[in-house]
Amino acid sequence: MSARFRIGTSLAQACQDLGYTGEVGYQTFLYSSEPDIRALLIFLAEKLPRHSHEDAHQPAGKSAVLQREIATKIKQQLALPWLPPSCRTAAAKRSQSLCRLHRFHVQPLSLAGDSSSKSISPERKEYWEKYLPFVSMQLPHAYSLAASLLERNTSDLSAVQEWEAEWKSQGLASRLSPEEYRSRKRQRLQKRIQDQLRQCRQHHAENHLPGPSTQDLVDMLKTFTVEEGTDNNKGSRFTHAQKFTHRQDPQVLTEQMQRVAENLPKKDTQDAQAEQEELSSLQQQIEHIEQDIQALAESTKLLHLTINKVEEEADKLQKQCDEKANAVKVKKRAVELLPDAENNLAKLQVMVDGSKQRMASLVGQWETHRVRLADEYSEMKRLQQEKEVESSRWMKDVRDLYDKIRAAADEAKRKEDLYKQLVSEYESLPKDVSRAAYTQRILEIVSNIKKQKEDITKILSDTKDLQKEINNLTGKVDRTFVVTDELVFKVGSTFISFSGYWFVCTLTCSVLSPAKDAKKDEPVRKVYKYLAALHENCSQLIQTIEDTGTILREIRDLEEQIETEAAKKTVSNLQKILEDYKAIKQENALLLSRMRDT
Amino acid sequence: MDGAEEGGLGLIVKLPLAQCPQFLHKVIDGVCGRALPRFQDYGSVWNLKEWLEVLEATTAFIKTAVGKDKSSEEMSNELSELNPEYQETIMKCIKSRKPEIKEALVEKACAMSSAYLQDFDWQLKLAMSSDKLSTLQMPLVNLDLDIVENGAIAPVSIEMNKDELQNLINSLEAANKVVLQLK
Repeated sequence: MSARFRIGTSLAQACQDLGYTGEVGYQTFLYSSEPDIRALLIFLAEKLPRHSHEDAHQPAGKSAVLQREIATKIKQQLALPWLPPSCRTAAAKRSQSLCRLHRFHVQPLSLAGDSSSKSISPERKEYWEKYLPFVSMQLPHAYSLAASLLERNTSDLSAVQEWEAEWKSQGLASRLSPEEYRSRKRQRLQKRIQDQLRQCRQHHAENHLPGPSTQDLVDMLKTFTVEEGTDNNKGSRFTHAQKFTHRQDPQVLTEQMQRVAENLPKKDTQDAQAEQEELSSLQQQIEHIEQDIQALAESTKLLHLTINKVEEEADKLQKQCDEKANAVKVKKRAVELLPDAENNLAKLQVMVDGSKQRMASLVGQWETHRVRLADEYSEMKRLQQEKEVESSRWMKDVRDLYDKIRAAADEAKRKEDLYKQLVSEYESLPKDVSRAAYTQRILEIVSNIKKQKEDITKILSDTKDLQKEINNLTGKVDRTFVVTDELVFKVGSTFISFSGYWFVCTLTCSVLSPAKDAKKDEPVRKVYKYLAALHENCSQLIQTIEDTGTILREIRDLEEQIETEAAKKTVSNLQKILEDYKAIKQENALLLSRMRDT
Repeated sequence: MDGAEEGGLGLIVKLPLAQCPQFLHKVIDGVCGRALPRFQDYGSVWNLKEWLEVLEATTAFIKTAVGKDKSSEEMSNELSELNPEYQETIMKCIKSRKPEIKEALVEKACAMSSAYLQDFDWQLKLAMSSDKLSTLQMPLVNLDLDIVENGAIAPVSIEMNKDELQNLINSLEAANKVVLQLK
């Protein structure tokens, strides 16, 4: 029960979130009434997304059509039973035998480009014109033609797309022209490759043991150079390094020698023994030599180190020496000048003054220069900044433009597709659907409406007439009353001609008329009294009739209300609510007991 | 080597000048990965030994000329033993096909590793039933990879179901990301 309540609440919440303005709550779903639900459903149906409907009408593009076709074809083929090869009809052979299946094998094609472009050399044009075979003749098997063409097309397309994506993401940001960007990228990649190779070689030289992958690479390089037809002896620096390291490695050498020795044909045991001895002696020699070499290498290293140290010391000493020589020179000069101290001092003073002045003038010059240059510098800087701003703005514009172009192209393509779709749909539509039927129906409806309108106006005019008559009559009544009133006052015993209203009351008149003769004042007063009473009674009557009318109307209203209330099934709903209430109570009790148990 | 090459190339004089461009273009087609010229067509001009020699020498010359980006003077120096007409024809052919040859050579250089993928093919199959289930309806993809290892094509065939294929695609995408980072 609580679950139902919750679902109802969440449904109501969802409806409100959608923007339903009417009253909606869990009760709408649990204790539903027809009109409420109807209104809600109408609202929801209006809210339903339209495009699903449109999709069914216009599936986008060729690919969808193709896919659907493939699907139907496959379904068709799946529905067919399998037949043994000998029983196949021609159609079944086509779909069931494997003889028509070929591998999707691609071979490169040579295609002519745009021969009108100027960058293409005349030789190439000549080749295209004279020697280039047709695409269908270039391949040994006809079936690989489609595959090759498709592959070529996709690879070209993807190359363009990749370039565009890269240019858009990185190229535009780098603010270079496409050519510059390309060349810079190429340089970067080349540098990277060189670094990699160098690292690899260093690594290799350090380890002395060729790893399997590098060995592979070297082999590859060797075959590569042979294939390329380059000078075999030259090789690459890489292979040289390889060989060099190999030769330095005595371990490998001895191993090779051992292998060679093993492979030698064995003449006899003695020979073999002699050889073995010789071999071992040679090995010993080699080991000795190796040790010697190692020792010598170490001593060389040591000597190198000492040489370095000594050189450093020599440098240091040389520097000290130079410094000291300078000091000595200065002192010597001072000593030479010492005898004529006064003169020399004055001269020195003059010289110092002169140099001071010169210094001041130079400083002034420098200052003017500096100011000018600083101004220029700041100006330049400002210009540069402006340019920077300008260029970034341009940049943004370009990017925006690019996006716009992209969007416009997409849009155009979409619209084109849509147009094609619609055209094909239009063509596939039956052309002979006559509009006449529709127009006739519409005309009928219009004439019906017209008729109804006329009826309504007739009824309205009738009502108006009626009202007018009622007004007339009430007016007449009032006027007659006033006239009679006056007459009663004016006329004493004279004969009063009753008219209008009094015809209705002939009885009273007839009663009154004989009394007139008998007493003059008395009857008149009586008449007046009766008149007043009559008038009052009549107005009361009219009032009552009107009241009856309003009451009848009210009754009708109330009846309608009762009907609507009855439609809401209040009683049954109330019963249901009571039941639900009981159920919830029970659930709660159950839950409570369970809680107590646990 | 030089002598052999020129000896090989020198044999081209046996071919009439008019047929020379066709032959050279056919050789270049071979360099670019299509079919080489056939011996049947030129059997009357050269014997088998000469044929092999001339074919090898021409191919080697074309590859070096384009691979080292030689200028026309360098090429004519190397071809100095031939007639000027033959020289001109050869150079014209190479010049006209230079972009294609270059592309083919670059591709070959890019494929420099112990094994590389040359081509691939796939087929989609629908397994209708198995030994356990009478109706299975499971799509299976059959992926054939032509892998070149030491100059020989080693075909590798893999059959995968949906999940496995997704797995493969994911790992390939990850690899592609690494390659992009290297750029």
